Amino acid sequence: MNFKNIFTRKAKTSNIATQRLKLILTQDRFDVSDDSMQKLQVELTEVLAKYFEFTMNSVKMSLKRDGNSYVLMADFPFKQLKKSS
Amino acid sequence: MGKVIVITSGKGGVGKTTSTANLGTALAMISKKVVIIDADVGLRNLDVVMGLESRVVYTSMDVIEKRCELEKALVKDRRVEDLFLLAASQRNRKDDIKPEQMLDICERLKEIYDFVLVDSPAGIEQGFHNAAAGAEEAIIITTPDVSAIRDADRIIGLLQNQDIEPINLILNRLSPTLVKKGNMISKNDVLDILNIDLLGIVPEDPGVIASTNRGVPLVHNDGSPGADAYMRIARRMIGQRVPIPEMRDDNFFSNILKWFSRNK
Repeated sequence: MNFKNIFTRKAKTSNIATQRLKLILTQDRFDVSDDSMQKLQVELTEVLAKYFEFTMNSVKMSLKRDGNSYVLMADFPFKQLKKSS
Repeated sequence: MGKVIVITSGKGGVGKTTSTANLGTALAMISKKVVIIDADVGLRNLDVVMGLESRVVYTSMDVIEKRCELEKALVKDRRVEDLFLLAASQRNRKDDIKPEQMLDICERLKEIYDFVLVDSPAGIEQGFHNAAAGAEEAIIITTPDVSAIRDADRIIGLLQNQDIEPINLILNRLSPTLVKKGNMISKNDVLDILNIDLLGIVPEDPGVIASTNRGVPLVHNDGSPGADAYMRIARRMIGQRVPIPEMRDDNFFSNILKWFSRNK
């Protein structure tokens, strides 16, 4: 969120469009349902949560085109490494 | 040996025909030999946008069914030298033409012309496949909205499967004012999503409607923002290094400035 948004308190519709498109294209490109991407995200998060401390709703996943193939991009911003017990 | 480029979008109404007419005209204006092909069999419109509808005698269907020689089917433009149109048949259906037949026409034309631009119909069916059959390169037209970008992405996937390369993007009808307000997807976001190279940006230009009304492509209307954009794109297509200008926001102050400079 940038400075201006704090004052206007309105989500820019262009940002909403971009986010929606990214989700739609992920499904289109891989022909996967929203459910299975969600499931993958949950499972990946579960594995990583063993090692990292997350803010759960900051996780972002998308598919990007790279020439003829696709790249799965996943952002897992974490607070810190978990101390191994 | 010339280049065959398909101009396509997936979604209808984003400016394929307008772009084909303007890029064809612009390329001919900078001394290239150009043929534009209307591949929208049954729903032809390139002739109307070019203002050549009264001159169309033969179509690609007549060439395919050997009722007429290819050279004879080409309609010469009224305004620019070395610009020709191959019209689509209005009475046939898209699957009356086979990809091999389209490929043959394109192969023969590129022997003689520098650029063969194929105006693709909307959709991903036979008509699109025919339009792409003879092409080695593609130009994707999209507007900055969710449905056009989604369809563009689908088309890019199909073209990549056919080893058409490069695939370049024209972002059409961009409104800098709306982008600035945050109500239109920006150029950078479109490029980030589609991940192909940008050939150019055409700003929203009311002059397009007037030029279609008259049947005179916008690039004849020197100085309009759309015309300038298409001329720059044409120059990039012939390999000149023409930078893509950042779109200026038409805000209150710039309008006042414009008003003053106009009245000087």
